[in-house]
Amino acid sequence: MAMANTDTNDDYNMLLSRVALGDRKAFSQLYKSTSPKLFGVCLRILRDRAQAEDALQEIYVKIWRRAGGFATDRASPMAWLVTIARNHSIDVVRARRPATVDIDEEFSLADPGPNPESHALNRSDGRQIENCLGELEADRAQAVVAAYVEGSSYHELAEKYAVPLNTMRTWLRRSLLKLKECMER
Amino acid sequence: MSPSSQTRHDESGRDIALAGEYVLGVLPFAERRAAEDRMLSDSDFAALVAHWQADFAELNPSYAPEPVPARLARVIEARLFGDAPSRTPGLWGSLVFWRGLSVAAIVAAVGLAGLSSGLFPSGTGGPAAPLVAQLSGPDSPIGLIATLDPGSDTLNFVPAAFVPDGEKSLELWLVPSDGSAAISMGLVPPDGGAVKIDKRLVSQLDDGALLAVSLEPPGGSPTGVATGPVLVSGKLLAK
Repeated sequence: MAMANTDTNDDYNMLLSRVALGDRKAFSQLYKSTSPKLFGVCLRILRDRAQAEDALQEIYVKIWRRAGGFATDRASPMAWLVTIARNHSIDVVRARRPATVDIDEEFSLADPGPNPESHALNRSDGRQIENCLGELEADRAQAVVAAYVEGSSYHELAEKYAVPLNTMRTWLRRSLLKLKECMER
Repeated sequence: MSPSSQTRHDESGRDIALAGEYVLGVLPFAERRAAEDRMLSDSDFAALVAHWQADFAELNPSYAPEPVPARLARVIEARLFGDAPSRTPGLWGSLVFWRGLSVAAIVAAVGLAGLSSGLFPSGTGGPAAPLVAQLSGPDSPIGLIATLDPGSDTLNFVPAAFVPDGEKSLELWLVPSDGSAAISMGLVPPDGGAVKIDKRLVSQLDDGALLAVSLEPPGGSPTGVATGPVLVSGKLLAK
């Protein structure tokens, strides 16, 4: 993966390693430099300031406790932190509005799916997903981005695009498979 | 394409889509939990999730940083470190679970063995308390008891449980009690035994210092900081 700023990554790697070893000063530094970004994630997904503040607390408690599970050779540190923030915020939203709707489990791959043999990953030029999103129809690409960035549920997406829930799910799943196929090309 | 390979094709597409749906966050709560359960038991599925996470991370610049209310930092630190003395690394608090009866019994035995074998600093004119750390971690395949022998500058390890696989090394780290950066103290012998430590580090092995062991490539971390997960950690305590 192409990294925008290797120096910053190294700094975060160092801080996370020290946090994993129980170093409070490192935790405080990590908090100072990363909390505005993670607070941005919480606000965007939760759309409620008080809930975002509560979420940020829980997220940094998780970071303190889980830093030992972060392996620097496997992921970029900022991506790891954002994943924790997104997962927590999305959990809060989904728990807040539990979906009672039965989403149809039938899923037929009428579209040509990815070739199972093409496992080689080639993401050296970065920004792959954005290029591949460009190959989808504009509204479907938009739906994928809204799902990721805003944490939209299937309900919200179906309402926004005025299609039945099952149609929305089929759209999104096919879009995901096309993206995967494009990225492995 | 034969019917059976078509089925496999569909199944693989289904899993790729499900992993992507999980990462996007669109799944309802129960399906989300089910996907997380599956990640724990199905490493292929977990790998699909990791790939999507890396792919979609490219969209993270869409999140604009927002100013955080100043009081939140104090609230979080109070939650994490509130009831411990300020110089003590807070990780200790989450390790309460392993201060169980069986471990306490092992440490008592090690402590007694340490005393009877003369764990006293040389040249100070009187006996000092031996320092013992119990190192453990949740879901960790290993557990270690470390005893500092100031007389010979060695840390003695008694492995409680460890399955060496030759693919990884266990590296020992010291986090000084003043909160400064962690220092590598070398590799832990996979079958236990003693680690000879640098004389300059002995003075930092004081009451309140934290020992931790991380899983590293064979031969130890190539970077000088822990690169693998921290498997166990424990604070040195005067017995």
